[in-house]
Amino acid sequence: MNRRLVDRLRAAQAFLQQWGVVVAFAILFAVSTAKQGFDFFNAENFRALLNSNAPVGILAVGMTLVIISGGIDLSVGSMVVLAAALGVTSMNALIDGSTSELNAVLIGGAVTVLCGVGAGSINGVLIVFGRIAPFIATLGGLAAFRSMSLAVADAGEIRSQSATLFCALGRGGIPLPGLENAAGKPLTLSYSTVIFFALAAIAQWMLSRARFGRHLIAVGANETAACYAGLPIAWVRFRVYAIMGLCAGIAALVQSSRMNSVSTAQLGLGSELDAIAAVVIGGTTLRGGFGRVWGTVIGVLILGMITNILTISGVSPYWQGAVKGGVIVLAVLVQRGSRDSM
Amino acid sequence: MAPASAVTLSTQCNVLLRAAAVTVDYPGVRALERVSLDFRASEIHAIVGENGAGKSTLMQVLSGAREPTEGNVVRDGVAVRFSRPSDAIRHGIAMVHQELNLVETLSVAQNISLGREPTRCCGLLIDRARQHNRARDLLAALGSEVNPTQKISKLSIAQAQCVEIAKCIATDARVLIFDEPTAALGASESARLLALLRQLRGEGRAILFVSHHLDEVIAVADRVSVLRDGRLVNAFERDHNGVLRGSDRSQADEGTLARAMVGRELGSIYPCKGHATNAGVAIELVNFGARGRSRDLSLAVRAGEIVGVAGLIGSGRTESAEAIVGLRDRDGVVRIGGHAVRFASVRAAMRGSVVYVSEDRKSKGLHTSLSSRVNMTLPSLDATTHFGGLWVDDKAQRAVTARWIRALEIRCAKPEQPIAALSGGNQQKVALARWLETKPKVLIIDEPTRGVDVGAKAEIYAIIARLAGEGLACIVISSELPELIGIAHRVIVMRGGTIAGELSREQLAATDCEERIMRLASGVMQLKESA
Repeated sequence: MNRRLVDRLRAAQAFLQQWGVVVAFAILFAVSTAKQGFDFFNAENFRALLNSNAPVGILAVGMTLVIISGGIDLSVGSMVVLAAALGVTSMNALIDGSTSELNAVLIGGAVTVLCGVGAGSINGVLIVFGRIAPFIATLGGLAAFRSMSLAVADAGEIRSQSATLFCALGRGGIPLPGLENAAGKPLTLSYSTVIFFALAAIAQWMLSRARFGRHLIAVGANETAACYAGLPIAWVRFRVYAIMGLCAGIAALVQSSRMNSVSTAQLGLGSELDAIAAVVIGGTTLRGGFGRVWGTVIGVLILGMITNILTISGVSPYWQGAVKGGVIVLAVLVQRGSRDSM
Repeated sequence: MAPASAVTLSTQCNVLLRAAAVTVDYPGVRALERVSLDFRASEIHAIVGENGAGKSTLMQVLSGAREPTEGNVVRDGVAVRFSRPSDAIRHGIAMVHQELNLVETLSVAQNISLGREPTRCCGLLIDRARQHNRARDLLAALGSEVNPTQKISKLSIAQAQCVEIAKCIATDARVLIFDEPTAALGASESARLLALLRQLRGEGRAILFVSHHLDEVIAVADRVSVLRDGRLVNAFERDHNGVLRGSDRSQADEGTLARAMVGRELGSIYPCKGHATNAGVAIELVNFGARGRSRDLSLAVRAGEIVGVAGLIGSGRTESAEAIVGLRDRDGVVRIGGHAVRFASVRAAMRGSVVYVSEDRKSKGLHTSLSSRVNMTLPSLDATTHFGGLWVDDKAQRAVTARWIRALEIRCAKPEQPIAALSGGNQQKVALARWLETKPKVLIIDEPTRGVDVGAKAEIYAIIARLAGEGLACIVISSELPELIGIAHRVIVMRGGTIAGELSREQLAATDCEERIMRLASGVMQLKESA
């Protein structure tokens, strides 16, 4: 074959491997804009996109770290519902027990986050000290955590007893000066979006700038070599699952506060797959040892935009899964290079 | 038919495989430049060259793993095109890889017939009896006593290699390509493998043999081709007296081959040994052992001393070293600078100034998918981080990397690229650098030159000698006796998990020292010594 052409194709592939996710985002953005005229290109739409995808985004941030360490966490959706159920239940109990609403909301929120950390730590202990493969250990969590939350609420909905205070976090936001929505109200950047971006920034910084991140990459790239290099492997791997739990707890808080209730049968259902998909689309390799949180953030937005476009184009929600699946496979195909042929 | 033409015909037919003006280009570099070579029946053809000379690329072309940019592969006089290894296998060309291609969880017999299982009941069932018998017959012909029902994971490297060879022969391979077959073998196993090569040659096969061990090449090869920078630079052929001669009829020895490989005069590849030191004991083992693998090891190594550890594969050398640095359970006592210590982990050993450089660079010693910088600063990461580990100082790390690249003369164009692209010698230097950066007092280095070419070997020996001169206590584990004799102040020999004997500096200078070490390692001398 023409060698120059081959060289060019190679260069193009290398470029896509690195920047494919950004290119895809740009294309989708252009399609959305073309589809909806400049209606799409307004801040309100973008705000809604970020806001609705923030909970999955928070999970995907933690999932990026887990996958870089060479693991996987299938239990995140169930962790979300368990943490939210226990948090709201304890908050309600406190309100009934004549604690002030503010204290009850604060304690309930803390319970939610701590439940996430606890559930993540259980995963960590099983995987690191019980030497169970991450896939199996968290598959157990996927079933067990969901079932526990169903038992707590009899598979029903747990409504929060706090009328306005609890939902302030999930529904409120920081007003953006100079921007208004169609109704003339000032546009806000929702707290959930802020939390999503803040966590992503912290995770990206940990990954590229902190010792923990360096250890994480080394363990994910080659655990035996990391052991021979004297890294505290067990501690590194345990922490990554605990951090995943923390993210699940925060996602649970955002979700339950936004709904001001917890539907134990629905909340977090299937979000482990959305989170993993976002990580993979973002260019993190499932084999571990390489990854980037900023890619995951774009991956979350790509998934969100696809849903958005399909919904607006009137595609049946039943078909949306097929399109998403195709995008995930395509992302892996494009980003697969000589470096990671798996 | 006239006799003369019959002779020509037979010589032509003799060439089973030919590389005809093969050129291979990689992006930005020409790996092979118009290389033409013949591989004849009943002949062992050795290819030697430094790492990066193009040996691997040539083997890839011949075994179907890579298509040449220009030129052809000619099989039995017909130009053929291989686009994958199975094409080559169909043409009777099989390669025994350095990393064996066996399925660990399957049995020996299943591996040998993998993909070509004998069947019965119209192909519905595998004919296990025939599968087993075929494996047994093939292995018996190779002189191997491996049980065909054994799982691969239970075999030693030498046994697994034999299975791999049987698997190749089972495909009726007429041309067998061996990529450094003795790299992971001990001395006696290597000797058996060379005998096996001769046997395969006797069966009329063409053998392509690639090795860094020039003594083995001299011992078995009928023809030696030397590659340098992708070109064929020299060829040697055994005459009817069995002497290997160059094109100018001069007799070839290891020195001739080494010179041809590097293209320059090599002095002795061993540095001059420093004087024996009277410095204090840096590390002392008292009745030490890796549980279940070695026992009763008592040894004291002074600062500045290089102690060699010889022994066969499986004599417990590596396991003992791993036990010292906390990678295995252990018995007995380790004293560092007079204080008894018990390292719970590699990290603890590192803090106690004892480090171990693994024999297995690819899977244990280094992170090949990460950069030189990350690799070199990984164990000593705390030294280049601030604020309790929250800030890794890239600038300081780059300085550390640059310093070691200079000090160890590491040839690596881009310190930020994955080190998988580096040659074996340069990878070994990176592995050394990552541990030297922790400022150890005791360095245990396991097979320091495995898979390293002759030029880089000399550099690594010089580095070890220099480190010892600076007061580092070095324990060098190696299966290459000339290397131990060349650099160590004294050599201890291990057998069956314990120390079988020791050779002093004077004994190492004697001409029979290699033989003495072999006897100790294999246990032949035991009676004589106790008498």
